[in-house]
Amino acid sequence: MKWLLKVIDAVRPNFEEGGKLRLFNPVFGALEHFFFAPSTTTIGAPHVRDAMDLKRFMSMVILAVVPSVLAAFYFFGLRLVAVIIVSYAAGLTVEALFAMIRKEGINEGFFVTGILFPLILPPNLPLWMVALGVAFGVFMGKELFGGTGRNLFNPALVSRCFLALAYPKAMSASWVAPSHELAGRLLSWVGPSNVDALTSATPLSLAKQGQMTAVSHMFLGSVSGSAGETSAVLIMLGGLFLLFTRVASWRTVVSILGSFVVLTAALVVGHKVTYPMPGVFAPVMWHLFAGGLLFGAFFMATDPVTSPSTNAGKWFYGIIIGSTTVLIRNFTGYVEGVTFAILLGNIVAPILDEIIIGLRIRRLKREG
Amino acid sequence: MLRGRPESTVKVMPEPKVLYLPLRSERFRFSETVVREGQQVSGGDVLARDPGNYGLPLLAPRAGTVRLKAASNHIVLENVARLDERVSLAQKEMSHIEQQMGVGGIKRYKLLSLGAWQFFYDAFTGALPDPHGTPQAIIVSTLSLEPFVTRGDVLLHKRLLNFTRGLEHLQSLLEYQPIYLAMPDIKSEFANLIRNQIRGYAWAKMLEIPLTYPYDHFAILARRLDLRRADGPVWAVRTEGVLAVDRALTLTRPCTVRIVSVGGIGVHSPAHLKVMPGYPIDKITDEYVFEPAARIINGGILTGETLTPETLGIDVECRGITVLPELKEREFLGFIRPGWDRSSYAECFLSALRKRFNERFTTGLRGELRPCVSCSFCEEVCPAGIMPSLIHKHLYANQLEEAEQARVDLCVECGLCSFVCPSKIDLRKQLIEAKDLIEKEKEELRQEQLRQEEARKQSEEKTK
Repeated sequence: MKWLLKVIDAVRPNFEEGGKLRLFNPVFGALEHFFFAPSTTTIGAPHVRDAMDLKRFMSMVILAVVPSVLAAFYFFGLRLVAVIIVSYAAGLTVEALFAMIRKEGINEGFFVTGILFPLILPPNLPLWMVALGVAFGVFMGKELFGGTGRNLFNPALVSRCFLALAYPKAMSASWVAPSHELAGRLLSWVGPSNVDALTSATPLSLAKQGQMTAVSHMFLGSVSGSAGETSAVLIMLGGLFLLFTRVASWRTVVSILGSFVVLTAALVVGHKVTYPMPGVFAPVMWHLFAGGLLFGAFFMATDPVTSPSTNAGKWFYGIIIGSTTVLIRNFTGYVEGVTFAILLGNIVAPILDEIIIGLRIRRLKREG
Repeated sequence: MLRGRPESTVKVMPEPKVLYLPLRSERFRFSETVVREGQQVSGGDVLARDPGNYGLPLLAPRAGTVRLKAASNHIVLENVARLDERVSLAQKEMSHIEQQMGVGGIKRYKLLSLGAWQFFYDAFTGALPDPHGTPQAIIVSTLSLEPFVTRGDVLLHKRLLNFTRGLEHLQSLLEYQPIYLAMPDIKSEFANLIRNQIRGYAWAKMLEIPLTYPYDHFAILARRLDLRRADGPVWAVRTEGVLAVDRALTLTRPCTVRIVSVGGIGVHSPAHLKVMPGYPIDKITDEYVFEPAARIINGGILTGETLTPETLGIDVECRGITVLPELKEREFLGFIRPGWDRSSYAECFLSALRKRFNERFTTGLRGELRPCVSCSFCEEVCPAGIMPSLIHKHLYANQLEEAEQARVDLCVECGLCSFVCPSKIDLRKQLIEAKDLIEKEKEELRQEQLRQEEARKQSEEKTK
């Protein structure tokens, strides 16, 4: 790959200070460092550094959602490729514009947002809405706060929240019935114009009408829903990978799912909610696999920037998200509440941190 | 386990012809030269003193001719010969001091003037403690856990008797204060040997510490022992210090020999070397370094200082020379490689499936500088229990007071936070700078208060 390095070295002067294309320096830098690790060395102690960098950090998340992306291709067709491309293109444009204005490097954080966003959208959403949503989310949710690392809200969830509030009709009419054939839709394109693309209600909205989808279908993913959220087994596969690599915090995931399970079970036992299913275990499992809960718990809430940085804070954060989801799902007009619950958690996160850090500092005060 | 870990045998380096004694080391500045150009000195003579550190002497390790201007910031000894070391304490002076300060005083005087005192640290600040003060406790650590620096077990090898004798000497400086002996495994055969030796010494207490860097750091040990700064100073000393105490007080001989490790990824046969301060560094590098482009570090890879070509000899505090290859090649698509050959704190490389292996470290930063993403890795590895990322954010927002409240002063400068940071933020440097700044402000405040006090007294006198 020496020739590529030579090309990069040859064109570099154009992008540096005084070059013709210096405005595009962030874009050039991002491309250069995508292909070749930077040549910077440490100055002073510590003289060696860990092999981990933010690129690797973010690529682990992308790697972890690959199973869910493949599941989305399988169940909802290849139109998702276009959605992902649009999401990346629109978001990167905003990101690159801000990098040029700020004269900073393009941040890897967006590559995660760009892939997560299509996975939490209804599969048949018009492409222009995808572009508008992601641009809005990156701009309002991230850049206005100062870019990656300083944002308060998860940009992908801001995008989804914006679309859900601005275009509720399109959002609820873009569900696609999943393929039940063996080959899936790996070779077919299901768009809004296709006649056979029947809108199909999600398990959660069907449940409001008293129809319970089989848990086994929700476990495998052959149900209607947002593109990447349907297959519980593949989400858990990728999610556990993230937990093992320590990119995502197990505390957040355990506290979200734990509080969700406990509260749902308590509601079922106390007969506050009733389901046409026997016992306690069945409705709890059904709710656990329904909707975006698992995807949100493993991939959205664990974003280190928007979740609390303290471990104790993460427990409370998870409990707030888990229980808010239960409350929205069972007692409000909305059928699904994970997006709102996590955004609420994001709001609370800095306050939780403030409290926990305050306590810790009080304890540290007594030290030596 | 790291490649380049020095072996436990100690090699004696050939006698040098010229010695280059640096006038500065990590803690000391020997600014007060007491010898003349061309003067003949014998081994153990005082060449210079550090006025800022209780007049700590820089001793001539060998006999030779002094050259003051041959190299800047060095005292050069030419025509070095190994004559019998002269005990530089004149008998008359000794009896004078004995009359003045008693037996304890003469011991402390010997420690200072024979070069053993430089091995002592204040456990909380890391500075040189006052030789005439009385500590609340002494911590003796047989460990050196930072990769590549001289290991305590190597020094202790075959020197057990000297070690316990040194402990006794240390005890004789104290009244009833305890000596804590930090060891990796207090049930090992080796620990039993020491235990047998010090049986019956109620003042020596053993303390087991894990073999993980930086649990041998004196400030961490002091905190573990629940020693408080307000209760007085805590002296801390490593194995080499105890051995030096033994040499100075039993034999009354100057301590001018050092066991220095030469290790690191760029060294072909890592070893421990028996050298003296001033030993020419290029003689060591010529023999041990095979990398064409390498960074030579004075100390370990996490806290050591880069040795510039201007430094010609080993300084008096040198605990090891670490050689690290410079980053040469830029890796193609480095971040999506499986990573069988590299490890990381977060187990994001394939090597997580592998047992310990030798990783080839270079000076590369291995990533680009990015804003903090609050991954809290730094907080997890911090041995002092503070939150480096939080302090970083406070400093970024110029909130020095908040950083002080977050106890930046507890930082022990181990460098682990900088090491693990995926955003490649140099947290260690920022924390050290903040500490210095806070220290400076406090000092200014103290001066200001003193001045006000003075002014008030003067005005009171006037009114009288």
